[in-house]
Amino acid sequence: MPIAFEHVSHIYNDGTPYRHVALEDVSLELAEGKITAIIGQTGSGKSTLVQHLNALLLPSAGKVLILDRTIEAGSQPKQLKSLRGQVGLVFQFPEYQLFEETVLKDIAFGPKNFGVSEEEAAKKARTAMQMVGLGPEFEERSPLELSGGQKRRVAIAGILAMDPAVLVLDEPTAGLDPQGTEQMMSLFHRLNRESGKTILIVTHDMEQVYRYCDEVVVMEQGKPKLRTDVQTFFHDSSLCRELNILPPALIRMKDMLRENGFTVSDEVSDVNMLAKELARQVKRHG
Amino acid sequence: MGNFTLGRYLPLDSPIHRMDPRAKIMGMLLMLIAIFIPSGWIGYGIIFVCAAGTILLAKLQFGFILKSMRPMMIMMIFLFIINCLVIHTGEPLFVIGPVIIYRDAIFQTLYIVVRLLLMIMITTCLTATTKPLDMTLGIEDLLKPFEKIHVPAHEIAMLISIALRFIPDLIEETQRIIKAQESRGVDMKEGKMQERIMAILSLIVPLFVSAFQRAEDLANAMEARGYAPGEKRTRYKVLKMAGRDYTLLVCCTAVLAGMIWLSRMS
Repeated sequence: MPIAFEHVSHIYNDGTPYRHVALEDVSLELAEGKITAIIGQTGSGKSTLVQHLNALLLPSAGKVLILDRTIEAGSQPKQLKSLRGQVGLVFQFPEYQLFEETVLKDIAFGPKNFGVSEEEAAKKARTAMQMVGLGPEFEERSPLELSGGQKRRVAIAGILAMDPAVLVLDEPTAGLDPQGTEQMMSLFHRLNRESGKTILIVTHDMEQVYRYCDEVVVMEQGKPKLRTDVQTFFHDSSLCRELNILPPALIRMKDMLRENGFTVSDEVSDVNMLAKELARQVKRHG
Repeated sequence: MGNFTLGRYLPLDSPIHRMDPRAKIMGMLLMLIAIFIPSGWIGYGIIFVCAAGTILLAKLQFGFILKSMRPMMIMMIFLFIINCLVIHTGEPLFVIGPVIIYRDAIFQTLYIVVRLLLMIMITTCLTATTKPLDMTLGIEDLLKPFEKIHVPAHEIAMLISIALRFIPDLIEETQRIIKAQESRGVDMKEGKMQERIMAILSLIVPLFVSAFQRAEDLANAMEARGYAPGEKRTRYKVLKMAGRDYTLLVCCTAVLAGMIWLSRMS
């Protein structure tokens, strides 16, 4: 079951002086079972695009195919709730969605809304807490008194507890410290590799795209400018330069080394490998 | 927010937009007083022509005004029903079941409807053409004379401008939270009583948390920059009355005087 946009446009405040075209004739297919990064400048339509995936926004024109559903412009789709249970959407700075008295209750809120029994929801909530690295001691604490990073985990756990088939994350690591970012990203990576979840991440961080994602979609002025796999995208820095994107540090390093007469193979994909390769070359010349 | 037009600023370019906010506020006050003077249909006709003229000059559309009226609709219908039940003067017109509708009931309601329509037209002329910030500057200046009797003009203006400044933010925040909770399976539109209470709770709590957070951040930011309410301060934008502003005031005063004269005549 593909996820596809067919000639989708989205216009905010149509018919008023505040009219704004956020998406313009978008046709795009997203790979299932992979981690896709959606990148692009502020205002390029990334957030608008992903909000179509669980029908929070309905297309002004065109249609969206997701799982076994078709959402067409002009129609009033029914049973959106089941779709929202299958497509989990985590907004930017999701901390503000916390409201329950305890962390456990807040995480169980989602599953309960989708008709899961109280005990089952608590069980799912505990599993989700474990996934995001929150120990049982957090269960009875108020989510409002936690630190920023902990709140973020609670909010993400609240979506994971719904056990969605597709997980959509709008800048999930914005404002987290490097360690928290690392943990979050490897969690998503694990969810994809172990449970086969389709994951979409809106991000500005090219290091994340390079290290954790399989596919890249570049949005520009309400249109997908490019869709390709990460290997091709970061093969060298020329494509990034063309799109005005700062490539990941490793790619820049490899480029500089090549420019200065080193030979670096394409397989080198992290710092350790690069160091070893360099050491080997230096020894040989030494 | 899409359909809510009452009191919204429309960024257009017109002679009315360029006027001094103080003149516009005073003009509006004069016209509002004029509406409440019982000057009969001729008087209302004159005010209507003035207001409609201003709307045309301000390049506003009448549809915009009608849209602003919509929230008032229920109130007007309610008023009409109450009037029909309560007022028993004038000649009886017709009978619906046990209720006799009198002439005055209809006319009283019509008067109120017309007054409301005129009030909305006139206030829209002000709010749709004046940036909220200019409006508060105007209010502050107009309240200045009352500082002698300890009216905190500057504080009131600052209060209003902060409140106005946060309205769009809070609307946006509300929509964001609604979307986030809808993604967690909350149904904001329908459901059983218990579910609805939960839905509202899931919106209100985060909204309050973030509103307090914003207020605290703003207070800190202002203090960090040395803001002290009582201090003398200069302004970046200095208001200046021009010829057209005086013309407006003279016109509005003339209309008010005319209304008083009309009501004396009848």
